Amino acid sequence: MSVEVPVKATGMTQPLDSTAASKDTPHPVAMQVKGLNFYYGTSHALHDISLDFPERSVTGMIGPSGCGKSTLLRVLNRMYDLYPGQRATGEVIFDKQNILNSGVDLNVLRSRIGMVFQKPTPFPMSIYDNIAFGIRLHERVSRSEMDGRVEDALRRVALWPEVQDRLSASATALSGGQQQRLCIARTIAVRPEVILLDEPTSALDPVSTARIEELLDELKTEFTIAIVTHNMQQAARCADQVAFFYMGRLIEVDSTARMFTTPREQQTQDYITGRFG
Amino acid sequence: MKANNTLMRADRSASLLWRRHMCDKLATAMSWLGMLIVVFMLGSILWTLFKNGLAGMSVHLFTMSMAAPGQPGGLANAIMGSIIQTGLAILIGAPAGLMTGIYLAEYGTTSRMARIVRFVSDMLLSAPSILIGLFIYMMLVVPFGHFSGLSGAVALAILAMPIVVRTTEDMLRLVPVAMREAGIALGAPKWRVILFICVRAVRAGIMTGVLLAIARVAGETAPLLFTSLGNSEWSLDLGRPMASLPVAIYQYAGSAYQDWMQQAWTGALLVTLGVLIINIVVRVGTRGGRS
Amino acid sequence: MGNEPAHTITRYDQELDRLRGIVARMGGLVERQTAQAIAAVVNQNEEAALEPPELDPEVDALEREAEMLAIRILALRAPMAVDLRVIVAVLKMSGDLERIGDYASSIARRAAKVEVLDGAISFSALRAMARLVQENLHMAVESMVENDAERAQEVWKADTAVDELYTTMFRELVTYMMEDPRKIAPCIHLLFVAKNLERIGDHATNIAERVYYAVTGEMLPSVRPRGGAARTNIEQPE
Repeated sequence: MSVEVPVKATGMTQPLDSTAASKDTPHPVAMQVKGLNFYYGTSHALHDISLDFPERSVTGMIGPSGCGKSTLLRVLNRMYDLYPGQRATGEVIFDKQNILNSGVDLNVLRSRIGMVFQKPTPFPMSIYDNIAFGIRLHERVSRSEMDGRVEDALRRVALWPEVQDRLSASATALSGGQQQRLCIARTIAVRPEVILLDEPTSALDPVSTARIEELLDELKTEFTIAIVTHNMQQAARCADQVAFFYMGRLIEVDSTARMFTTPREQQTQDYITGRFG
Repeated sequence: MKANNTLMRADRSASLLWRRHMCDKLATAMSWLGMLIVVFMLGSILWTLFKNGLAGMSVHLFTMSMAAPGQPGGLANAIMGSIIQTGLAILIGAPAGLMTGIYLAEYGTTSRMARIVRFVSDMLLSAPSILIGLFIYMMLVVPFGHFSGLSGAVALAILAMPIVVRTTEDMLRLVPVAMREAGIALGAPKWRVILFICVRAVRAGIMTGVLLAIARVAGETAPLLFTSLGNSEWSLDLGRPMASLPVAIYQYAGSAYQDWMQQAWTGALLVTLGVLIINIVVRVGTRGGRS
Repeated sequence: MGNEPAHTITRYDQELDRLRGIVARMGGLVERQTAQAIAAVVNQNEEAALEPPELDPEVDALEREAEMLAIRILALRAPMAVDLRVIVAVLKMSGDLERIGDYASSIARRAAKVEVLDGAISFSALRAMARLVQENLHMAVESMVENDAERAQEVWKADTAVDELYTTMFRELVTYMMEDPRKIAPCIHLLFVAKNLERIGDHATNIAERVYYAVTGEMLPSVRPRGGAARTNIEQPE
């Protein structure tokens, strides 16, 4: 694995690939990372990453802690801009633009590329307002329309039946799994094109985790999804393609089935079979 | 103790265990003792206040202004003056303190400017209140040529501000980074995230800071001596000298007249009860915001 | 697979080693069964004929043990990539090995029935075939124990020769039976022996295919170079 030659997702010819993802013809690329380098101050955190995110499919990002997978996710919605000293070079093409350019309106960008975090982060307001908050930021909608949008978002994440009687109750009173689904609802209510998930289930119990995974399966019919996970089984269950990162480098990217049965790189193999350090 | 230790293993030192046990007992006893001393002192202050103050409670106290010794009089003008000056002080000091706290926690953080502001604010927090009074005397009393309720309120505002600054900053720092990022990730501009998410999340804590500030300034006497001076007449004019409970207590308590001394006790009780009531009311009111 | 670095979880490595140990033992047993069965027929060694059926229960027990352990690892360790391929390969190979054992026993049991043919007809084709099958089986088992994909591929290619020899024997025996109808019964037994040998060769090839997949992650093409098959099919009276 050399630094100079970026790994590209390859079209598969193996019969293993008869999964749902590759059933219909290859998805067009929703987001394209090209020659990306990232620095935390002087430390070089990502080395020449090139990776395509196919439209309406799930890209799983795996690797040991500190491998750069979360860093990459935070580049995709320019979250790193919040912190001085962090900087990215290279290109991230989204809607024919390099979103790393300084002229990009970050609020608009983030309304099109949503993000869900590791810990559920309900805002300190009612369930209704949690959803409405994001919508109000970007659109002017009437009261009745807002009601519809809130209900729709909550239905999409299968939270509606559980909360429809207490929309004005504080969101912090929900359980962890419900809170996380609320956060996803909040994100999709803004109607983004891409959803980034940073270990969205690592704080949840197995049942809540399964519900989120089921939800991802449904959401990918409409959104492009990138998910960072420590749980390899989760990547295996949810993702259509998987990218393995190690020490700030993209080691390998391939269809999920291929990645977990026949990885090409020794480092990938060692990691996914549990032979690491 | 030793006898009970049936679980004792041969390779453990029994004497060490015993010594630890005694240390534990001793530390617990000291804590209890300290707590009892404080509670006793607080209790005796309250007891003295109630014992001496309740006797002066009457309708006149709330309806009549201060009067010469021997004349029928109350503390109505002082009560009103205190409410006006403290209220105005909080109206000025709390928003200013809140915004400074937001600046320190969210914008300045570790910048040079922020470090200076933080340092000055902390200095103010521990500055003797009489200095603040003198400062306002020079700034607002001398140039205008007379004492005024407004200058008293400003002096109190300066006292209240650093308390609000400190609590606001400390509270905002408690807001998890993830919460901020979640707001930003939705495409919200920074000011909206701060005001509608972060401040909201810690509104109970900030409220406590404001309460602390009220409690602090409501009982201040020194800064008012050089600013609003005190007034024995009923007056709502902020441009003229204004009465206040602490100043009235200061005047009456030092006098040689029995009825004035009685009113001083009652005034002190009123200040204490007032602060207590505000505390309870606001705490109950913001309980919903805690999680 | 064997030359991978160790797992972080030592017990996992121990379990995988145990699993490999079981199939290696099965490989050794069925090689012996096959060798004895061939000796029984070709050299008319009556004692040798007894051994293959005797070893059968042990092979069967090992197959079950391998299966239970493989399922256990699948359930408890969620194996991935090379580990997963090895376990799936083991599951299939243990089946192949067990079948080879059965064929060897079947051959051994027919040894006495073909005795009359000794000297009457030439066993040279049978000998050649037996030697090839034994060699292939040995190489397959060896590639399995040593995770040798190259050797596995050799086995896979070599099976063509076995098929061709079987076709030759088939023709030879048909000719014999037409010449001397009294020899039809023993000839048919001998034909079964040849057929069983050929089946053993097929299973050895299966094992080689499994080894190749487990080691490389690639499947060998589903169509094997199989020169003799087409011709046999035409001539066999089916």
